[in-house]
Amino acid sequence: MSSATTTTTSKVSFASLTPNNLGTVRKLNTVLFPIKYSDKFYRDILAPELEDFCKLIYYNDIPVGIICCRLENQSDGTVKLYIMTMGVLAPYRSLGLGSKGLEAILSAAAANSKPKISHVHLHVQISNTEAKRFYERHGFTEVRVHENYYKKIEPRDAWILEKTIEHA
Amino acid sequence: MAPSIPAKRQLPSKESTLFKELLTLYETKQLKKGLKAADQILKKFPEHGETLCMKGLLLTHMGKRGEGIETVKKGIRLDITSHIVWHVFGLIQKAEKNYEEALKSYTQALRCDKDNTNILRDAANLQTQLRLYDALVETRHTLLRLRPALRQNWIGLAVAYHLNGQLSDAKQVLEAYEKTLKNVPDYDVEHSEVLLYHVRVLEDLNEFAEALTLLDSNAKSRIIVDRRAIMETRARLLSKLRETEEAEHAWRALIEMNPDCTAYYSGYLSNKDISLESLTDESRPQALHILRDFSSQIPRASAPRRLALTVASGEEFNDLVKDYLSIRISKGIPSLFADVKALYKDPVKRDIVEKTMEELREQLSSLASEPTSYLWTLYFLAQHYSYLGKQSRALSLLDEAIAHTPTLPELYTCKGRVLKRSGDYLGAARSVEDARLLDGQDRFLNTKSAKYLLRAGLVEEASQVLGLFTKKDAQSPGADLEEMQSLLYLIEDGNAHNRNGNLGMALKRYTAIQKVFNDYEDDQFDFHSYSIRKFTILIYLNMIHWEDRLHSFPAYPEAALAASQIYVRLHDDPDLVASLTAPAALTDAEKKAKNKAKKAAHKQEDPKKAANALSNEDKGLEPEPAKDDDPDGTKLLQATDKLEKAAAWLAPLTRLDKDNIHVWIAVYDVSVRRNKWLQAIRALNHARSLDSEHPELHLRLVDLRKRDPSSACAPAIEPAVTAALQELIPDEVSLETYNSQYLQKHSTSPRAILSCARALHRLEAPMEEVENQLFTLFNADVDLDVKTLLAALTFLKEIKSSRAEMFGTSCDSRFELSTAFKSQAELATLRHDNTTESEANQPEETLG
Repeated sequence: MSSATTTTTSKVSFASLTPNNLGTVRKLNTVLFPIKYSDKFYRDILAPELEDFCKLIYYNDIPVGIICCRLENQSDGTVKLYIMTMGVLAPYRSLGLGSKGLEAILSAAAANSKPKISHVHLHVQISNTEAKRFYERHGFTEVRVHENYYKKIEPRDAWILEKTIEHA
Repeated sequence: MAPSIPAKRQLPSKESTLFKELLTLYETKQLKKGLKAADQILKKFPEHGETLCMKGLLLTHMGKRGEGIETVKKGIRLDITSHIVWHVFGLIQKAEKNYEEALKSYTQALRCDKDNTNILRDAANLQTQLRLYDALVETRHTLLRLRPALRQNWIGLAVAYHLNGQLSDAKQVLEAYEKTLKNVPDYDVEHSEVLLYHVRVLEDLNEFAEALTLLDSNAKSRIIVDRRAIMETRARLLSKLRETEEAEHAWRALIEMNPDCTAYYSGYLSNKDISLESLTDESRPQALHILRDFSSQIPRASAPRRLALTVASGEEFNDLVKDYLSIRISKGIPSLFADVKALYKDPVKRDIVEKTMEELREQLSSLASEPTSYLWTLYFLAQHYSYLGKQSRALSLLDEAIAHTPTLPELYTCKGRVLKRSGDYLGAARSVEDARLLDGQDRFLNTKSAKYLLRAGLVEEASQVLGLFTKKDAQSPGADLEEMQSLLYLIEDGNAHNRNGNLGMALKRYTAIQKVFNDYEDDQFDFHSYSIRKFTILIYLNMIHWEDRLHSFPAYPEAALAASQIYVRLHDDPDLVASLTAPAALTDAEKKAKNKAKKAAHKQEDPKKAANALSNEDKGLEPEPAKDDDPDGTKLLQATDKLEKAAAWLAPLTRLDKDNIHVWIAVYDVSVRRNKWLQAIRALNHARSLDSEHPELHLRLVDLRKRDPSSACAPAIEPAVTAALQELIPDEVSLETYNSQYLQKHSTSPRAILSCARALHRLEAPMEEVENQLFTLFNADVDLDVKTLLAALTFLKEIKSSRAEMFGTSCDSRFELSTAFKSQAELATLRHDNTTESEANQPEETLG
């Protein structure tokens, strides 16, 4: 179920997504995000090439967080990693889970050779300054504002935050 | 062989050699050649019984069972004093699991050839199976006399004596056996096991000193190799010999070897004359001191800490339980409540646990504390309040927990349990299904979800859920589970069908349970020879004792009582049988589809049959497993021997589940309808000795007198019947008065009120009176519960009361959380409202 990421007993662990734990993923998405994701979303995140980039985050062996990414081929032939969802249940925030999860994804991106990932980016709603600070602490910078990105929630604008990946 | 061989059996030298060849060919399973040899002999001697039998045996092995058995029977008729013919017949009967008949054949065979070791061995196995221990001793004795060089024959005799209660004879055989042994290899497990068995026999004879000597000397010389058995036996024997100091060391060694085995702590304490079950004011502090010592010496052991909770009281309990609970809450152990709830027998301890847990929850609710620890306190308290009947409190705690961490399956299964206890079986099923969806690879959650669906009566849905884990190529999920002997599935599915009124399917499932238990009983057969051969005696004897108690294990009594009840219902109401078995009106399209399926099935069978022609393949002697020819249980419903079947169901229970009043009530119901008056009266006497005021008993007493057995029974037993009847239910008062007197005595018991209403109905009181009686269930001082109300509602529907619906509505308003009283229409709406919402295709928006 959970795979230890450190040799000392850590309270935090990660698990890859499988058809069997999709129910948990759905439950987390429902609670964490105001957006309802389609069946296609749930099919896509099971893709084998995304295994390192879509993870459930466990705290004391209970699933409390989720990260889902997708690979985006750019017009110039490079590949960017796009973070679609990332969240941790309210009682479990400020415990470093988000950071650990994000760092895991970033290391996986750096280590990935097929394809080589040049950048990681994501959208953050303009009202969510806390989230922006979080990503900035991890080396993300604001690239530009995407106006009217959101169709059904207010405010409609979003920042695009991006980080360049240094390969090992 | 008999000294003078009758003329018909004797064969000239050519045929006689051929016959010996035939026997060898059979043993080496060369079936076709054997058949040819047999036919050759029969050409010249068509009436040779022994050859005919061998031919029949060969045919059975090749799959032509019917013809084979006929041939064997013909052979027997032609040569009744040949041991071969009876041996063959016995073999076939044994393969059909018809052990009594097989033993008869074998006994006949032995009469013809009393020293035939093959026959003797098979006979011994049959005698053990049938628990005919006297005969077994004889047989084993003969075997030993004939082949004393074979070690297992000695052990076989010792075991036979043991089973027959002749322990000292067993001991003597073992002693004699050990004297005959030479050149035993080192570390021989077989010899080790024999010695351990010998030690046990001495122990059972209360010869503790001799047992200990035998154990110690052989343990020292490493002849006995099972270290754990040595240690456990030693500790036990030393305690029995009152060698308390040495025993203490022995028990301590065991505890150090396995600090989590509670039996070792019990042993240690009883050695000091402290009994955990009956602690005195003197022994309690001693026990506690000892357990606390162990707890500090072995920090990782949980057994002494848990035992200390049982022993401690007052302030000490308070401190110990606080520690115990808070450590395990931080560890996040889901089973903590199940562990601790046994302490609730003592209401003081129960309240202390509640207080401690509430304090812990208060403490952990601050934001600084570990969120998972807080979560586990909520989960514990929810289970706690639910156990104490406070379902709404439990629900609000669970809702808070689910809002806190909606991804923990345990919260949803707990919620399901709480709703079930509140009578909302539909909501409960929904909740457990939510749990299942969180983890698709957890078979436990899958089974729980199916079980709750069955409790809600949703058999189809349950089958689909179970199908996610059963074998894909099985006929249906139910078929696979039946093959895997899943008693849980069979009993829950049977009960669901029973509640739904689908009595045929219910009987089918219950009968499947009966078959499983029969299989369990038959399975022991091979071990009678295997265990003796392998010298694993102690575990073999355990198994025999287990088999003796087999029909007391919960699934069987539950199925037995339900099945016998159904049979009684069907017997009382033949119209019910007709309505249940009337073929459903099929539409034309359905009829065509059915015919097509029939033709396809036929086509499949024919080519199969052709291929089945005489092949040399040995199909063994067992009959092929019967195909399911009664898919809807219709044949069971239509059986003409319903009451006999019911009696067969109940028979083992009168021996093994004697303290269960419902067994005797069921026995009464069946015997009284078979006009077995004395049996019926005896059953009620048993019931009365268990609980003279039980509502079910009351109803049966009224029923008995109403039947007027004194007039109905045979004149020979009339005086006994009348006397017994007078004892049970004196005729001084009228039955109506008797009924009201009982009601007055138990006016606040809902079960008693229901029983009186049933009795009124039995006494042919007007419908209105019965209905009014049932409506008194809603009186303020009656201690109502959902299950009794459901039973009352079912009863009203059975007697076709016009006020049943009104009753149902009152039930519903009395138990708001429950959905069990909603009408079919309301339930259908509820089910529909909760099917998954439609998926609208939304464009993908993402949120970082």
